[in-house]
Amino acid sequence: MAARIEHPTLYVEGPDGPVLLAARCAACGRASFPRQSFGCEGCGAHGDAMAPVEIAARGALISFAIVRKHMGGDIETPFAIGEVRLNDGPVIRCTLADGLEEAALRTGQKVVGLLAHNAKSSADVLELRFAPEGR
Amino acid sequence: MARALSAFRPVFVAGVGLHPYQKYSMTPYVALGLTAVREALADAGARWGDVESAYVASALLGMAPGRPMLRHLGASGLSITHVENASASGSSAFRLAALEVASGQSDLVIAIGVDKPAMVELAARQAGLDILERDRVAAFTHFALLAQRYADAHGATPEDFARVAAKNLANGARNPYAQRRETRSVADILAATKLAGFLTSPQSCPIGEGAAAVIVASEDGLKRLKFDRARAVRVLSSASRSERLYDDDGGFDAALTEETVRAALHDADVQPSALDIVELHDAFSVEELLYVERMGLCDPGDAPRRLKAGHFDIGGEVAVSASGGLIAMGHPLGPTGLGQVAEITRQLRGEAAGRQHPGAKTGLAHMVGLGAVCVAHVLQRDT
Repeated sequence: MAARIEHPTLYVEGPDGPVLLAARCAACGRASFPRQSFGCEGCGAHGDAMAPVEIAARGALISFAIVRKHMGGDIETPFAIGEVRLNDGPVIRCTLADGLEEAALRTGQKVVGLLAHNAKSSADVLELRFAPEGR
Repeated sequence: MARALSAFRPVFVAGVGLHPYQKYSMTPYVALGLTAVREALADAGARWGDVESAYVASALLGMAPGRPMLRHLGASGLSITHVENASASGSSAFRLAALEVASGQSDLVIAIGVDKPAMVELAARQAGLDILERDRVAAFTHFALLAQRYADAHGATPEDFARVAAKNLANGARNPYAQRRETRSVADILAATKLAGFLTSPQSCPIGEGAAAVIVASEDGLKRLKFDRARAVRVLSSASRSERLYDDDGGFDAALTEETVRAALHDADVQPSALDIVELHDAFSVEELLYVERMGLCDPGDAPRRLKAGHFDIGGEVAVSASGGLIAMGHPLGPTGLGQVAEITRQLRGEAAGRQHPGAKTGLAHMVGLGAVCVAHVLQRDT
C-alpha cells in the first residue's frame, strides 16, 4: 500500500526528499510559504505575480522547544517544535523528528525535512518533520 | 500632516475602576462590567449621564456586549462602540477614548473592558491557508521559542525566566484585584508543571474573567466634574502599530514592541530612564526580559541581572508590573490593557495602597495582541 502525504497542499515528495509548495513573488522575489496568491507580504503584488514554486525543505534552526503539554490528540508528548529559516528565505515552524531532546538541538544547526510516520495517525500516512542534517 | 496626541487638546484620566480578575464563575459579564464602571464613576465623581461616549473592549463575549450591560446605568443614549483587538482590545479602547476627547468631539468618554473565558475560533484559522504546524504551537510554545532564542543570545538560565514570575506574583499578592495572590519561590516556580522549553505553568498568565473601566476627560470635562487636579493623570501619548517584516532574529514581538514604545516615548517627549512605572505584556515570563530591554530600560542582555538586583521591583529604579502584571493580575483579554491604565493611574496619584512605588510620576502601558499588534501609552502625573 502506497503511503499517503498528510498535507499534500503544503509539501510533496521530491526526488531528493520532501519539498515545500511555495510561491515566489515576480515583483520582489520574496518566497511565501504556504503557497498563496492573495498577495506578497513584502510588496503587495498578487494573483499571477505569485508564481508557484517548490522550495527545498532545508534551512537552519533559529530556535526550538520541547513541548510537554499538548491539548490535541494528534501527537504524543513530549515532541519538539523547531523554528527554521529556510534556505529560500521563509521562516517556518515545524515539528521535529521524534526522539529529539534539548541535548541534540542547538541554534544555528542545519536541518533538513524528512517524511515520517506519526504514531498517532494511521500507518500509511507520512508527515513532514525536520531533523539535524546527517542524523 | 499627521499630528501626535500632544498636538491636540490635553487628555486626562479622571476615574478608574475594576472588577477583580478571577477564575471563570457563573457571574454574568454584565455584573462584572457594571462593578468596574460604577467604581470608575465614583472615582471620577461623575454621574453616568455625564458620559458622552463608551468604547467597550471584549475579545471573547461575542457580538455587541455593550448595551445589554450599559442600559442598567440608565439608557442615556450615549455613543457605544465595540473594540476587538485581541489581547490589546482594552488598550485600543483607551486609545480611541483618548483620541475622541483630544479631538474635541467629547469631554467625558469611558473605555470599558469586560470578558469571560470562552472558546473562540481565531480568524487566522479561516484565512484560507493551511498551517504546517497546525495547533502544535500553543501560545506557551511560541514564547518558549523566544525564550530559547534569548537564552542562546544572552546565556540566560531557567532561573532568570522564573524570577520574572516570582517578582510579579509577589506584586500580585499585594493587589486586591489580582487573580493570583500567592507568592512563589523561584525553586517552586521551576518545579511546577512544565509547558514547553524553559516555561512552567506559573510563568504563564491565567486567562480568567473580570472588568476594568477608565474615564477619560478634557480640561472642560474635569471642570464639569469639579475634579481635584492633583489627582488628574495626563495621557501624554498614544501609539499603535502592527507587525511588519523584520530582519531581526529576536522575534517580531520584541521588534514591534521596540518601535511602538519608541513612538510613544518620542511623542510624549519622555526618555526611557524617566519612567517610574511600566505595565507590560508579560503573558509569559520571557516577555518581560525581552521588552524591558527593547523599551530601553536597560541594555540588551542585562535584564536578568537587573531583575535579580531588584531594579524592577516596587521601590526599585522602575517598577515593572507593580500590579502583578498579566502573570499575577491575570489576563482576561478585554479588560487587561485598561487594568494597566488603572494601575498606572493609582500609582501616579499615590493611591496604590499596599504596593505604592514611591515618587511615581511617569508611567508606560504596553500590550501586544495576536496578529501581531502593539499599543503603548505614556501617562504622567499632572502636578
